Amino acid sequence: MTTHSLPTAACRSIVRLFSSVPFAYAGTAALLAFAYVTRPALVSPVLLLLIVRQAAPLAIAVLGQSLCMRVLSLDLSIGGVILAVSYILTSGILRLPEPILLTICVLFGVAVGAVNAFLITRIRASSVIVTLATALILSGVVFSFSQLRAPGEAPTILRYLGQTKIGIMPISPLVWLALFVPLALFLRMSVFGRYVDAIGANPRAALISGIPYIRIVTVAHILSSLFAVFSGFVLVGFVGAGSLDIGRDLPLSSLVAVILGGVTFGSGKGGSLGPAVAAFMLTFSFNLLTSLGIGEPGKLMLQGAIIALAATRRSSH
Amino acid sequence: MAVSISRSNRSGLRPATIALPALLFVALSFLSPAFLSVQNLSNINGQIAALLIVSLGQLAVALIGGIDLSVGAALSLTTTIIVSVNPDFALAAALFAGVAIGLVNGIGVTVAGVHPLIMTMASMTFLQGLALLIHPVPGGTVPDYIAGLAWTSASGVPAAFFWCAGAVAIASFLLSMTRFGLRLFAIGASQASAARNGIPVKWYSVGCYVICSVAATIAGIFISARVSAGDATVGAPFALDSITAIAMGGVQLAGGTGSVAGVVLGTITLGLLTNGMNLVGISPFLRTAATGVLLLLAISMQRRNVIGV
Repeated sequence: MTTHSLPTAACRSIVRLFSSVPFAYAGTAALLAFAYVTRPALVSPVLLLLIVRQAAPLAIAVLGQSLCMRVLSLDLSIGGVILAVSYILTSGILRLPEPILLTICVLFGVAVGAVNAFLITRIRASSVIVTLATALILSGVVFSFSQLRAPGEAPTILRYLGQTKIGIMPISPLVWLALFVPLALFLRMSVFGRYVDAIGANPRAALISGIPYIRIVTVAHILSSLFAVFSGFVLVGFVGAGSLDIGRDLPLSSLVAVILGGVTFGSGKGGSLGPAVAAFMLTFSFNLLTSLGIGEPGKLMLQGAIIALAATRRSSH
Repeated sequence: MAVSISRSNRSGLRPATIALPALLFVALSFLSPAFLSVQNLSNINGQIAALLIVSLGQLAVALIGGIDLSVGAALSLTTTIIVSVNPDFALAAALFAGVAIGLVNGIGVTVAGVHPLIMTMASMTFLQGLALLIHPVPGGTVPDYIAGLAWTSASGVPAAFFWCAGAVAIASFLLSMTRFGLRLFAIGASQASAARNGIPVKWYSVGCYVICSVAATIAGIFISARVSAGDATVGAPFALDSITAIAMGGVQLAGGTGSVAGVVLGTITLGLLTNGMNLVGISPFLRTAATGVLLLLAISMQRRNVIGV
């Protein structure tokens, strides 16, 4: 009996160890290996750094999304916030100096996050529906305004952030790093971070034990919208001009990245690094798919399949 | 939220649900002289038929406390299937796709235990990609016999009316005259209690997702007949519109409360709003924003127990 159960127990713990490591790590390694064999040019340092730069807006948005998902909520208004930020910055509808415009955007992000949070925590509406509705409202308003005044060039300071390199190192990943490190440390060391984990592990128990549930969820949503604003800054700077397409795929991609990064509903598990690696993995996979000649439909299908598989795998144990 | 045992509560109909479309109707007939013309009213009917069918499917899923975001993509996929396959099998292929989508969604939610929003968002993304793959550019020819389904009229009544009436009749029959319908309310009120009382909850849930996807494909057949073309993005607004429509009709997205009458009223409200904004000359983009505001208002009237997704 014991001789039989010992190996199975060992097997089980090995399986558990592997399944507790976010899919993103293995996925990234596999993708890099695959690219090394089929498209060696993609894994050259110069191109990898370019892909890292391209991944920066997603990685910034993912910071907020993962915080929301860790408190069992979801933020799909990211795309709408970025669209609005891009419009405020580039359309010239507000003729103000750049620093004031940037401040307005930040305040705008806080306001959107606060409205989302109010509806989710006080009215207790489903976060998916609330944030989708917010996105609808924001994009509807921006689109109708843009008939009067089309988006134009990005502010110089953002173009500097999005396009300049120090040596071969682009600046935008550094922006991500400057946001990521404090947030990760804060979540790991502070009481707030413990509360976040407690809510994620068991919301009912967290509520009953007197954790300031509503405040935590509110802060998560405000931070998420704020990170969306920063992501918008980097994205607008990277593109160099405003557009009505900007940030359209970020809500979905950020969701995929967070799931692949090992954050799951209802387990309280999930670190900060996993989703960031997943953001790189997604951006890299899109580049790889493009270089393999697979177009937009293929990417969408793959993305859908990945969400379903990652979610299935995560919730089955 | 206290569990109420009063019978009238199950429908979710409130005075506002009924008053809103009525008020809109009166306001529009004063604001725009063209509104009450037979031509315009039959236009509205044609415009809301597809949304009504999709929303009735969404109702089935909402009653058990689920949600289906993939309906729009399923609708788009249907229109692309219809213009792409052999005309003889077009309808069969579309319906087969509907059943398959519903099965995948349902099994993902019940057996694999994925949250319905995530599961259907995944299938939405996948189906959108598939639709674009099958038929990237809008166009193509719809078989004559299918086009006829939307454009014939019987003694002056347009076909769209019969589509609506048929969908409402089937949905009402299913919900209020069959054991299946009654049990959906039981599952929505409490899955655990329903399961302990011997209801095969998993089968019923899968069934609801299949009904919802098939409703989306039927709406897709109607749309492709109406516009006589396949379009891989035509369904995009339907996911949120259908949720807005049922939420305005008093359907509780947490499950267990809702009625066919409510869904009809919610759909009419949304249809009148779109049509009215057209007639008064408001930008269609602001209509998107208005849908968002309405969705928030409708949702605000449904306080839930849980915070989050």
